[in-house]
Parts: sequence; C-alpha cells; structure tokens
Amino acid sequence: MDKFILRKAEPKDVSDILRLIKELAKFEEMEEQVVLTEKELLEDGFGDHPFYHCVVAEVPKDKQSLEGYTVVGFAMYYFTYDPWIGKLLYLEDFYVMKEFRGYGMGSEILKMLSETAVKTRCSGMHFIVAEWNTTSIEFYKRRGASDLSHEEGWRLYEIDKCNLLKMSSK
Amino acid sequence: MDFTIRAASLDDCKDISRMILKLAEHDNVSDQIKITQRDLEQDGFSKNPFFHGIIAEVPEHFKSRDGHTKVGYSLYFYTYSSWKGRAVYMEDLYVMPEFRGKGIGKALMAKVSQLGLAAGCTQLNFTVLDWNKSSLDFYRKQGCWDVTSDLGYHCMRCEGDALEHLGGHLHFTDQSQ
Repeated sequence: MDKFILRKAEPKDVSDILRLIKELAKFEEMEEQVVLTEKELLEDGFGDHPFYHCVVAEVPKDKQSLEGYTVVGFAMYYFTYDPWIGKLLYLEDFYVMKEFRGYGMGSEILKMLSETAVKTRCSGMHFIVAEWNTTSIEFYKRRGASDLSHEEGWRLYEIDKCNLLKMSSK
Repeated sequence: MDFTIRAASLDDCKDISRMILKLAEHDNVSDQIKITQRDLEQDGFSKNPFFHGIIAEVPEHFKSRDGHTKVGYSLYFYTYSSWKGRAVYMEDLYVMPEFRGKGIGKALMAKVSQLGLAAGCTQLNFTVLDWNKSSLDFYRKQGCWDVTSDLGYHCMRCEGDALEHLGGHLHFTDQSQ
C-alpha cells in the first residue's frame, strides 16, 4: 500500500466523514454520542463561514476497503486562539481505518496539519486524548506532544445545552 | 452595582490586553504572554476574526481605584464537536478583584451562552486549572462538569520544535520510533 493521496475534503465527502467520525467514536466507546448529521456537516463545513476544516486520505479504487470505501482516513480541525500566544490549530478528530494502518497515512496527515499550522503562523497544535488510549498517547509523545492536564493541571470542562439555556436566561 | 455587558470593539483591545496580563499573573504565567495589543486588534477585529470578545463596563462614578471602567471580559470562539456539531469555547473569563461578587462573571458567561445558543451551539467548553478552587466551585454551580475527570480526556499540546519537526521542517531522526 504505497498509493494514497491526502486532499482537502469536499462537500461530496460528508457521508464518508460521518462514517469515519462514527467509527472513531465507536473505538472510544462513545458511538451513541454522535448526533451530528450529514446535513449539518455540509452546512457547517462548506458554507460561507466554516466551523471546521477537513483533510481526507483516499486510496485508488483497486485498493478500496473490504466494504468498498476509498476514503479511508481523515482529520477534522479548526483554528482557536490563546490570548497569551495567539493562533492555534485544534485537532478535533484524527482517524485511519484499521485495515489501512501501518502505511504511514497517520504520519502524513499529521505532517500536512503541522505544515498548515506553521504556514498560518499558529503557535501550536492542541487536541485531547483519552488517558486509557496509551497507543495514541505514545504516538503523540514520540512526536513531542506534552500532556497539559498532567503537567500544568488543566481540566477540560463542559456545559451542555440544557444548562446553557438556564444560564442565558438568568 | 450598575454594569453593562457588550460586544468588544477595536478600542477595547488596550483594556483587554491589560486584563489578560492580570489573569496571567493570577495563574502565575505572565512571562508566557507573547501577544500584544496590536496582535489582538489584528486577530480579533479583521475580516476573519480568530476570536470574539465581550466586555463588562461600569459607569464613570463606579470606576476602579486606578481609574478603569472596563472591569471584566471574556474571549470566546466557535469550535466543532465531531459528535454534536457547533460548539463555543470560552478561552478567558476575568473580572477585576475589586468588582467580584456582584454577578459580573455570571453575566459575562450568560452572554457567551446566549451568543453560542444563537449561533446553533449545543455546548460550551473551557479549561480550568485544577488548583483554582474558587473558579471550580463557581463553574460547578453553573451546571458544568469535568470532562477530564469524568471521561479521562487530557488536553495535549504540540508546539515549537516539536511542531516544526512534525511538519517536516526539522530533519533529525527520532530514535524512539
């Protein structure tokens, strides 16, 4: 498997993107949390003000997956801001289908994202990893990532829609 | 205590910069600030802003001891959850110490929530330092939960040499691979 291309996602890719999002969520044992639809992905990623950007890894037709897919990996990212150091690239999702691992696709995707980050003058790339996901943690640490939760004590918090509504009406 | 909550404008960058420094001093990391007032103006108020701001302002007669009427701020931006879609991330929330306990922090957060909901967001995310007990208590009272603690997600960062290396700009072999 030496032939694969990385390219910017297009509107026609939303079905594959959602499929891969669900596969990654399934691996994280969070599949039932995915409520996003293809329609929302289309609107939110390919309108006038995209909420996210996406790159996909594609193989030729003769190398398609067992179920016939040619889009076999993806990364979803967006730009965030740290008032101390400026622009950051935030990696939301990063996944390569199991049967296509070990060919360097993951490394190439990360390389492309890092180039994007450097080109857009981002000071860093942020992302979250589940603490039980030791394979991924090792993969990232080998590439120089540091665990901010562990080293600096940052904890990620969330307020869901129900509580947002309560807060906004106070 | 009378105060107003409004969207930040270019003119507010001087005060935002002042308060960012105050917040960093509180977190003991003021030497890490590389962003200038000019960077804030460029990054927050051009055609494609990287962040949005809201300001808490008091009338002249309630100004701070050192003469400021802009006494609190929040910086936020829109993010995306691959599970739930549009989300809003609150990067900074700060109220000057002499103006605390008057509902200003809550009002700033309520405004971010309103704006987020109006933009179709279903969640608000932010990070808090584990030693910051008073903030942790405040957020829990608003109905927040600790994703790091409950789901085990850790915040990771890749920067500087590591980022350049990843991007293929530095050419040295990684012995550990």
